[in-house]
Amino acid sequence: MALPRAVIEELRRVVGRESVIDSANDLRIFERDGSIEGAMPDAVVLASTTEQVAGVMKVAARHRIPVVPRGAGTGLSGGAVTIRGGIALQVTRMRGILEIDPVAMTALVEPGVVNQELSLVAAQHGLFYAPDPSSQKACTLGGNAAENSGGPHCLYYGVTTNHVLGMEVVLADGSVHWVSGDAPDRIGLDLCGVLVGSEGTLCAITKIKVRLLRIPPSIATLLAAFPSIESASQAVSAVIGHGIVPAALEMMDNVTVGAVEAHYHAGYPTDAGAVLLVEVDGIAESTRELTAAISKILAANQGYAMREAQTPAERELLWAGRKGAIGALGRIKPNYYLHDGVVPRSRLPQVLSAVGEIGEHYKLPVANVFHAGDGNLHPNILFDLRDRDVLDQVEAAGEEMLRAVVELGGALSGEHGIGLEKSAFMPWIYSEDDLNAMHRVKDVLDADGILNPGKIFPDPSRRPVHLAGRTGLAIEAKWW
Amino acid sequence: MVVTDPTVETPASAEELARLLREAAAAKMAVIPVGGGRASGMGDPPERADVLLHTTRLDRVVEHSQSDMVVSVEAGITLEALQSELAKAGQFLPLDPFHSPGHTVGGLLATGWTGPLRLRFGSPRDFLIGIRVALPDGKLATGGGRVVKNVSGYDMMKLHYGALGSLGVIVAASFKVFPKPLHDVTVSNEGGWEAAETALSTPLGPSAVELSSDGTVLARYLGSPQAVDRVVSGLEWDEAEESVWEKHSHSAPETWARITAPRSALRRLVGSLPEHDRWWASPGVGIAHWVIRADAQSVRDMRAKVEAAGGTLVMLAAPEGFMREVGAWGTAPKTIDIMRRLKKAFDPDGVLNPGRFVV
Repeated sequence: MALPRAVIEELRRVVGRESVIDSANDLRIFERDGSIEGAMPDAVVLASTTEQVAGVMKVAARHRIPVVPRGAGTGLSGGAVTIRGGIALQVTRMRGILEIDPVAMTALVEPGVVNQELSLVAAQHGLFYAPDPSSQKACTLGGNAAENSGGPHCLYYGVTTNHVLGMEVVLADGSVHWVSGDAPDRIGLDLCGVLVGSEGTLCAITKIKVRLLRIPPSIATLLAAFPSIESASQAVSAVIGHGIVPAALEMMDNVTVGAVEAHYHAGYPTDAGAVLLVEVDGIAESTRELTAAISKILAANQGYAMREAQTPAERELLWAGRKGAIGALGRIKPNYYLHDGVVPRSRLPQVLSAVGEIGEHYKLPVANVFHAGDGNLHPNILFDLRDRDVLDQVEAAGEEMLRAVVELGGALSGEHGIGLEKSAFMPWIYSEDDLNAMHRVKDVLDADGILNPGKIFPDPSRRPVHLAGRTGLAIEAKWW
Repeated sequence: MVVTDPTVETPASAEELARLLREAAAAKMAVIPVGGGRASGMGDPPERADVLLHTTRLDRVVEHSQSDMVVSVEAGITLEALQSELAKAGQFLPLDPFHSPGHTVGGLLATGWTGPLRLRFGSPRDFLIGIRVALPDGKLATGGGRVVKNVSGYDMMKLHYGALGSLGVIVAASFKVFPKPLHDVTVSNEGGWEAAETALSTPLGPSAVELSSDGTVLARYLGSPQAVDRVVSGLEWDEAEESVWEKHSHSAPETWARITAPRSALRRLVGSLPEHDRWWASPGVGIAHWVIRADAQSVRDMRAKVEAAGGTLVMLAAPEGFMREVGAWGTAPKTIDIMRRLKKAFDPDGVLNPGRFVV
C-alpha cells in the first residue's frame, strides 16, 4: 500500500527529495534481506544523520507507519524485511568512523560502517574489533548491534553485546538518547544491554561506541580431519575440558568440505567425516604451547591429517574456506537455507544426527558448518528453487531441525536473531509469562508498535508452525 | 531504614517466593529482597520495608553440566558454595567481589558487584546466560537459556542485572563457566600507577591488576605456563601468595563508595581523593573503591568531579544519616524517564525496594 503523497512529502522535507524512494521498481531492491521471505516497503528513506533518523521516526510516529531500520541487508532471519510495509530506514550512508581512541581502546562509529572496515582502520593502531560474523565484509555495525551478532572468534572474545560500550539511539517517538558510555557500571537500568539484540524492534541505532582489543602478536591456526562428526565433537569437548578455550573452534562436515575444497583448494581433506579448524592467539610462547597441547588432544581423539598454517597467507586460505563455505555450496545446489540454532556443546553429535535424518527424510542435501566450541550449529539445507513445492519442504525440514535443537535443551538462535523466521517458534522455548515480560519492554519503548512490527513475537495472523501439536515439550523439559 | 517490624519471609521454592511477592504487592506492602545481606547497605534507605523476602533457602545447584561448562543455580546459593561445586570439575566462575564471603548469586546479580578478575573476564553481565525472575504480579519469567550463545528474544538478563531487585526478584540463574587456568601466578610491586600501567601493557595481558593507596600493585597472570612465566620473569616483581586475593576480597569498609570512570580519567580522579583516605583501584577496568573518612560535603564534591569526567560515584555502605546526606546514586541519568516507565511496567505499585534504587 503506497504511502499518501503528503507523507512522502513530509519525509522528503526531512531527508531531501532524492533520499526518499517510492517508485515500485526501485523499492524492489529493498524487498529482501539474506533470509527466505521478502516483502515490499512502501518507501525507502536514506538517512545521513541522527537528526534525519529522528525526523523520519517523528513523521512515522505521527502517521503510525511501520519503520524498519536497515543496514546492509545481510541478515538471515528477516530482521530487515518490511513485512507490514511502511518505511525501510536505510542507514548505510551513515558510515563514518568518528573516532578511534588508541589509549582507551574504543571506537565511535556510525551504524552504516562495515564490520571489517573498522578492524582494517583500527589495525593502524594495533587494534581490532572482535566480533566477526562470516558476512563481515558486507554487514554493518548497526546491524550487528541490532542483532547481537556473533562470529567464529566469539568463543573466546564474546558476542557483540560484550563489546558495545554505549549507543546513541532514536526511539519510536523520535527522541534521541545516549545509553551507557565509557565508564563501567552506569547508574540505573542497563538500557544499552537491553537494546543490543532487540532486532530493530525497540530503537534505531545512530551511533555506537565499541571496545577494541589489541591485535595478538601471535596467531596459530590448525586444521585436523576426523572420521566422523562424533569423533570431531568429542575432540572439541576434550580440548575445552583440558582447560583451553581457543579463540575459535570451527567444524565443517563432509559435504561442506567437499564443496569448499573444490572451490578454494585450501587443502581440506575431502575423505574426512568432519574437519576442525582451531585457532589460538596470544604471545608466541602461549600459542606454541597451546598448539602442541591441542594437537596432542586432537590426535588422541582420532584426529589426522593435521596441518598448521605456516604463513599468514596459508591462514587466510584456511579461513577463506570456512568463511566462504556457504557460497561454495552453490556447487551442489543453487539455493540454500542457512539455519542457526544452539545446543549445549555435548549435544552436538545428537543434534547433528537428527539433522542428517531430517535431511534424508525430506530428500534434501544438508551441509553443516558450525561454531563447534559454542554448540552453535548452522545446518544448510540445499535446494533448487526451480523444483516444484521445494520451498515448503525446505521450511518444514528447517522447522524440524529447530525442533530437535530445542528438544535437546537448545535455543532458537545463536547469532542470526529471531526476526520473522523464527517468531512462531518462540513458544517452544518461552512460556506465555516469559514472552509477556519481554512484551512489557516493547510496550514501554514502542507503545504503538511501529518499530519493526511482526518480528520476534509470535504473530497469530501468520501461517502456524507445522509442529505446533508438539508444543509444550520443551517447556516441560526446562531446567527450572 | 524506616522500619516497623517487617515480616521476614524465607520461601523454600521459586513458586512460593512468587506467591509471597504477589500477596505482598496486592496488599501494597513494600518488599525488600535479601540475599546474603552483604550489599544491604547499597542504595538509599528504603522509604518503607514491610516484608524482608529472603532467598537464602533457594540454594540448590539445579544443574552443573560439566562438559558444556554451564551451571544453573537458584539465586540464594552463596558464591562460595557455587565455586566449590564447580571446582569438583576443575571449573570456576570468574567473580571475586569485595565484602566476601557470603554473597549470594542473586545478590551479586542484583547489585552488579564485581572484583579484580573483571579485567580479564568482564562482569556477570558478560557470562550470565539465563535468568528467572519473580515479578510483583506473581509471574515467574525466564529469559535466555542454558546455551553459551543465544539471541532468542530480548536480553532479559541485562534488564535485571544491576537493577537492585527493582523490577523483580531473581530466583535462578545460569552461567557460562570457565576452566581453571593452566597456570596462575600473582606478583607484586610498590610502584603505584606507573607499575600498574607496566603490568597492564605486558604482551600477555594480566587477568587482574589492583592498586592500593599505599602504592602496592598486585598483578595476576593466568594462562599457559611458559607464557605466564615469561611475562612474570620479564616484570621482575616479587611473587605473591595466591591468598592475597582472598584477603583482598574481604575488604569491607563501614563507609565506602565505588567510583567508575573512563579508564583514562581514573588516575586523575583518584588523585583528588582526600589525602588521608584509603582506596584501591582496578586501573585497567576504570573502577576504584574509596574508604571514606571524609565528610559528606567532600563526598559530594568528589562526586561532582567524577560525574564531570563521565563517571559515577555510588555509595556502597554508610551510616544512615551519612547516606541520606550524600545520596546513594548521584545525578540521575538523562534516560531516567524511560527507566521509570520500565519500573512501572514491571512493578506498577512500586512495592519492590521503594526509594532505594534510582527508579
